[in-house]
Amino acid sequence: MSQMLSPDMTIAGEAAAKAKIEVKNLNFYYGQSKALKDITLSLPERSVTAFIGPSGCGKSTLLRVFNRIYELYPKQTAEGQVLLDGQNVLDRSQDLNLLRTKIGMVFQKPTPFPMSIYENIAFGVRLYEKISKAEMDGRVEQALKRAALWTEVKDKLNASGLSLSGGQQQRLCIARTVAVKPEVILLDEPASALDPLSTAKIEELIDELQADYTIVIVTHNMQQAARVSKQTAFMYLGELVEFDRTEKIFTSPREKRTQDYITGRFG
Amino acid sequence: MAEHTVAAFDEDLGQISRLISDMGDLAGSMVGGATKALLNSDNALAQRVVSDDAIMDARQRELDDRAITLIAKRQPMADDLRHVVGSIRMAGDLERIGDLAKNIAKRVGTVGLSATPRDLSHSIDAMAQLVLIQVQGVIEEYAARDAEALAKLRAADERIDVKYTSVFRELLTYMMEDPRNITACTHLLFCAKNLERIGDHVTNIAENAYYVLTGTQLPANRPKQDETAMSAPAA
Repeated sequence: MSQMLSPDMTIAGEAAAKAKIEVKNLNFYYGQSKALKDITLSLPERSVTAFIGPSGCGKSTLLRVFNRIYELYPKQTAEGQVLLDGQNVLDRSQDLNLLRTKIGMVFQKPTPFPMSIYENIAFGVRLYEKISKAEMDGRVEQALKRAALWTEVKDKLNASGLSLSGGQQQRLCIARTVAVKPEVILLDEPASALDPLSTAKIEELIDELQADYTIVIVTHNMQQAARVSKQTAFMYLGELVEFDRTEKIFTSPREKRTQDYITGRFG
Repeated sequence: MAEHTVAAFDEDLGQISRLISDMGDLAGSMVGGATKALLNSDNALAQRVVSDDAIMDARQRELDDRAITLIAKRQPMADDLRHVVGSIRMAGDLERIGDLAKNIAKRVGTVGLSATPRDLSHSIDAMAQLVLIQVQGVIEEYAARDAEALAKLRAADERIDVKYTSVFRELLTYMMEDPRNITACTHLLFCAKNLERIGDHVTNIAENAYYVLTGTQLPANRPKQDETAMSAPAA
């Protein structure tokens, strides 16, 4: 059961936010196996949307469709539409490099490049822009500040990115994503491998970043989804079961399957 | 309702439900006992009601402890979260009902010493019966998970308010008729007010229970018929 729901429409007294990403009748296949079933939903701009659901429900798959990263692998196909500001990113004519500068992604395990902290950020910027050393220094500093990492690394920018702690590495990855000035940030379990303090820093960061970016987060931690997001989608077996304001989902969901999942009554 | 994957979670929630049920039974017994003691000048029964309040307080503390521990350990969501938070609030109202019943019981000795007009007992008795039905009903309907019955029960508090207004006027009349009635009637006025307040706590419980069961709030405005605060009857 997929529904065209725009949760902001339901928030009393608030104007409907502009949709940044609109997913329409999306189906996704791993070979013959259908992993996403007729998904339709609309993600508001400059807002955090969380995807929750048990393993294998399709939430990470959906994230991977947004920036077409699934195309790196064989026999994976998507049908339907994913509109970014009205442009279908699934169109063959879509420039993938351009798409991925607009839609950045951070993964579960921190993935710093085996190079210096400075180069981790400069590397991505150089792929898209030719700027002077002074400008690059500014961009690196700005990105590290945006990811709340600057004060911790400003005296060791030439140290290897791999020398940082797990939480710092993850914030470095977020800085790297932010440095290329994306419009959307996809976070796939960004804090699941981190200790509680690092997790809190990531959550604080998400809270700050939503003023400028549209953020989509996939998480198994329901309390985290409840804390950081404004709207939440519950997926199960490739279907979008329920999509609503986060407070509604976690206090009185409409669907029994949502209720059973978030209260731990599944299986 | 399906069981939780973690069986101990069901057990924890079950203990909170049992405590609410126990406190509800105790509240009914205290309200019934206090009014019976008042009408029959039964000091022994009044004393039992006074001592029951300590049990009520202990039950509330136990419920608070269990609810806080459950929130810390299990991070309940949706209906589980409403159940736990609603129980904390309902337990607060039940504990207040216990206090008000105790207050009625403590007046039994003083009222018993005076020559109380017999007619008066009847009006208080009728009011107390209405309140008792409400106290017992709210816990029964919650246990039966009947949200509609809870909404009706909340609306029925209006009858208690109407009764309170009439008892209030009657007591004033008795006091004006014979100043020797003033001491007893003043205590009875407090008792009637306590019963009226118990009715209000029952409506709070019904509202919380309704929210726990449905996830939606009853409308904020409920008709109020207690006119004693608005204007005193003409002398």
